[in-house]
Amino acid sequence: MEAAAAAWHEEGDSPQDPEALVLTTFQEVQESLNATPHLLRLGRLFSETVLVEVDGQEIYLSFDQGRIASVTEGPSRKTPWRFALRTDGAALEEFWRARPEPGFHDIFGLVKIGRGRIDGDILCLVKNLRFFKEVMGLARMDEGKAA
Amino acid sequence: MSFEPITGRYLTVSVAGAPRRIYVEEAGAGRPVLCLHTAGADTRQWRHLMNDAAVTAGNRLIAFDMPWHGKSLPPEGWEVEEYLLTTEAYIETVLAVVDGMGLDRPVLAGCSMGGRIALQLAALHPETFSGFIAIEASDFQPAWYDIDWFHRPDAHGGEMGAALVSANISPHAPRVERWNTLWMFMQSGPGVFRGDLSFYTKDDSLIGRLCRIDTSKTPVHLLVGAYDLTCTPEDARRTAAAIPGASIAVMDELGHFPMSEHPEGFRPFFLDALARMPVARADAA
Repeated sequence: MEAAAAAWHEEGDSPQDPEALVLTTFQEVQESLNATPHLLRLGRLFSETVLVEVDGQEIYLSFDQGRIASVTEGPSRKTPWRFALRTDGAALEEFWRARPEPGFHDIFGLVKIGRGRIDGDILCLVKNLRFFKEVMGLARMDEGKAA
Repeated sequence: MSFEPITGRYLTVSVAGAPRRIYVEEAGAGRPVLCLHTAGADTRQWRHLMNDAAVTAGNRLIAFDMPWHGKSLPPEGWEVEEYLLTTEAYIETVLAVVDGMGLDRPVLAGCSMGGRIALQLAALHPETFSGFIAIEASDFQPAWYDIDWFHRPDAHGGEMGAALVSANISPHAPRVERWNTLWMFMQSGPGVFRGDLSFYTKDDSLIGRLCRIDTSKTPVHLLVGAYDLTCTPEDARRTAAAIPGASIAVMDELGHFPMSEHPEGFRPFFLDALARMPVARADAA
């Protein structure tokens, strides 16, 4: 991943604008997905909008046949979404480490430890679970060692 | 080119009054250790330990595919049957294999649902075994997902099951073994993972039986991975605390399938567990 994702893991002061950082990171996820053929193949039947909420900041990921067609910042009451993943910035930062602590290593882990919530059409998520989890993992540090 | 030391054979036993043709693998010599796979998988989860000379030098590791799993076919008539594993059928199957193979008080090592049934056997049939290694095992947990997800006409249950259980694999696991582990779930027969989970998430009969376990006669050692979301360290600790004399080790960098997902990481914990079990009796061939 590029600069924005790496910024989550920098030592020292917190980012000045965490909301911008979240948005930029998902824009980088969008680019990474375009460069990941196996995920484009796995997601070829997935054309849904997913809400990711981080510390109350809403971001809509609109998938079109496995690609993220747009990354749009909310809130928006006009944007229907199929399912939502809600978490907090600190949890997401840990999730994106190469070796997250137990519970932070998976989206369902975040739910289990009370740092995340999944709403909406859960069956839709589960049917596309490998694809979505790997897309979320695109911002993970050192992906070669931590699948 | 060289062959691995693992050998496989088929054994036909009777379960619920009907034949079950069961695939059995074994490696090593010495004290018998019967190894049980997790839900939705098969004996391949044990292949690393069965290829480990340090483990097999003094232990005869035996693993078998439960009916409906791996190379053990479902019973005749499966096409009109709903597969729902029960505690009773599971116990009967394990005991039938012990008897069919003529095993003299083996150590029983089971993971996940295999760990659950190991503790049931520790409570109900301790005389058949010399000790119990209960891996990712607990008294009871309800499902944190809808088990019916895994048997639908409009989705691939194996792919969904694999994606879900990937949550239980540690990020410390080598990538190749993570995916080898998940492959077994992807290969599972339609409805088999769901049928296993029915047993695992709905039968709470072990809770009232834990106090029956006499660890002075048959030791019980629990192993649990810190990254296991299904049987968490808290679940395993609660279970161990309810069994007087039971011991437990938390494996900080492992998940729900330790022998399969990260064999090198699991190895020292398993060797330690074996060392806690009584050695084979002098008259046990």
